[in-house]
Amino acid sequence: MKTIPGVTARASTDLPVLKPFDVAAHSPDSMMMTRWVAGLPWWSPAAILTISLIWPAIAYAQSSYSIGQATEALWRWMPFLLREGFLLNVLISIFAMLIGTLAGAALGLGQISINKWVRRFAWFATQLFRNSPWLVILFIVLLALPFEVRIFGTIMTFPDWWKAVIGLSLPVMANISEIVRGAVASVPTAQWEASESLAFSRRQTLWRIILPQCFKRMIPPWMNWYAILTMATPLCSLLGVQELITLSRQAMESENNHPELLMPFYGFALLMFFIYCYPIARATIALERRFSVKL
Amino acid sequence: MRVFKTLASALALATISTATLAASCTNDTWNKVMERGKLVVGVKADYKPWGYRNSDGELVGMEIDMAKDVAKKMGVDVELVPVQSSNRMQFLEGGKIDLMIATMSDRADRREIVGIVGPNYYTSGTNVMSPKAVKILKWEDLRDKPVCGKQGAFYNKIVEERYGAKVIAFTGNAEAKQALRDKKCMAWVYDDSSIGSDLSSGDWPEFEMPLNSEDDNPWALAVPLAEKNCVFGRFMSGMQYHWLQSGELIELEKKHGIQPTVFLQVQQERLKDWLAE
Repeated sequence: MKTIPGVTARASTDLPVLKPFDVAAHSPDSMMMTRWVAGLPWWSPAAILTISLIWPAIAYAQSSYSIGQATEALWRWMPFLLREGFLLNVLISIFAMLIGTLAGAALGLGQISINKWVRRFAWFATQLFRNSPWLVILFIVLLALPFEVRIFGTIMTFPDWWKAVIGLSLPVMANISEIVRGAVASVPTAQWEASESLAFSRRQTLWRIILPQCFKRMIPPWMNWYAILTMATPLCSLLGVQELITLSRQAMESENNHPELLMPFYGFALLMFFIYCYPIARATIALERRFSVKL
Repeated sequence: MRVFKTLASALALATISTATLAASCTNDTWNKVMERGKLVVGVKADYKPWGYRNSDGELVGMEIDMAKDVAKKMGVDVELVPVQSSNRMQFLEGGKIDLMIATMSDRADRREIVGIVGPNYYTSGTNVMSPKAVKILKWEDLRDKPVCGKQGAFYNKIVEERYGAKVIAFTGNAEAKQALRDKKCMAWVYDDSSIGSDLSSGDWPEFEMPLNSEDDNPWALAVPLAEKNCVFGRFMSGMQYHWLQSGELIELEKKHGIQPTVFLQVQQERLKDWLAE
């Protein structure tokens, strides 16, 4: 008996078919860190600050070192912590993001290369750094790179925070690589076929047709990774980099290590990161909304 | 931390083997310092009053004054690099710092890694701070009890091995003291001089230093291992000899408000010039 595809038999065809656009697959992941941060109400930092200042007064009511003294100590150290500490966290995050983005874009394009070996290498490097703990990568970079190099008789020192930049840029690179690969893959294959039929070369197709479409959809996850990276910079304190957390500890030491100092000082660090990352998170959400597919 | 330690010991081992091979003096570090016109000294930034920051962020303290004196005698500028107990020896052998004056206790295992030169310039003992209510009377009372400490201190291991205490090591002293106050541990093990100054500040009325100090351990500064028996090592021996003999360290102790130690007075007496008045 003759079958009718889609009626008496499974619908199948060998002809190219344009499938309906899958909106869910093109919407941002609701588990993203930036979405969570942006979901916090704007007054959260004020609440955190209040709690961190009031908490020791309740917890250590028996101590002779008053919360007023602890706050006064924080006030005295604040300019130094901001100028020398938090600024370095921001610098580390900017440079790590810059290097990570450039290297990650190259690696991501490598993952879709037509050369088998380039593709395999890019895949391996991506998976290696994407699935390693950040702290382990940081330690390896710290120990593997020299403290100084001698180039033509002049001694060039290689400061610790630059090692931290390189250490942090590696996992960022791997994740950006996946973003680039994913973005290219998300462009409907009909675009490739259409440009091929219009006699575009592979390079022209990629640079003039595919990547311009990817760019927009890569921005929100890219900013998400920047926020994650910024919040990961205190890891460098374990390597002895003189950033916000390391300097906070040293400041507390100078103030004789009263436990009452812990909440105000770490609360201040938390506040700084929140103030810096919250606008980024809000902007990410706004961009996502603007670029989202409307049906 | 474990990975770090394994890698660090591997690195240290590699440095030792190269150092023993090169028996003759090349004076690399000394020459580098002279050529560069700058001595890089690793000091503590978290050990008041030996090395800490003032609220302008500048490094100050007794050991910082010593480091500046070394640079002055060598006729070079000084650059201070804050180090931690857990990374100071790696920094020295890796070449990041030329000299380390960082409250380091002089231990046999450390002499194999860095170039420790005598005479020792200071000493301190180990003791604990514990709540009066707990009534610790002897070190043995700490057996199987949680004891807070600071990462990188050599006596953590001793307290564990000798008295069977369970040491919980923190990165900072504020955290360790907080844990003590939160009753997460029975006692906080640290230098006796530091505990003494905390107790005398009056902020710890419920606490005491109940034990006899143990392991009175001399402190040592260090040069890279390859420099130990060469110009730099010999020079640092001379610096320390002069500091002890002239009483400059006693002066510094007074300047930084440290309780005078018997050690420095004994050393000054011992090294006294027989022709002096």
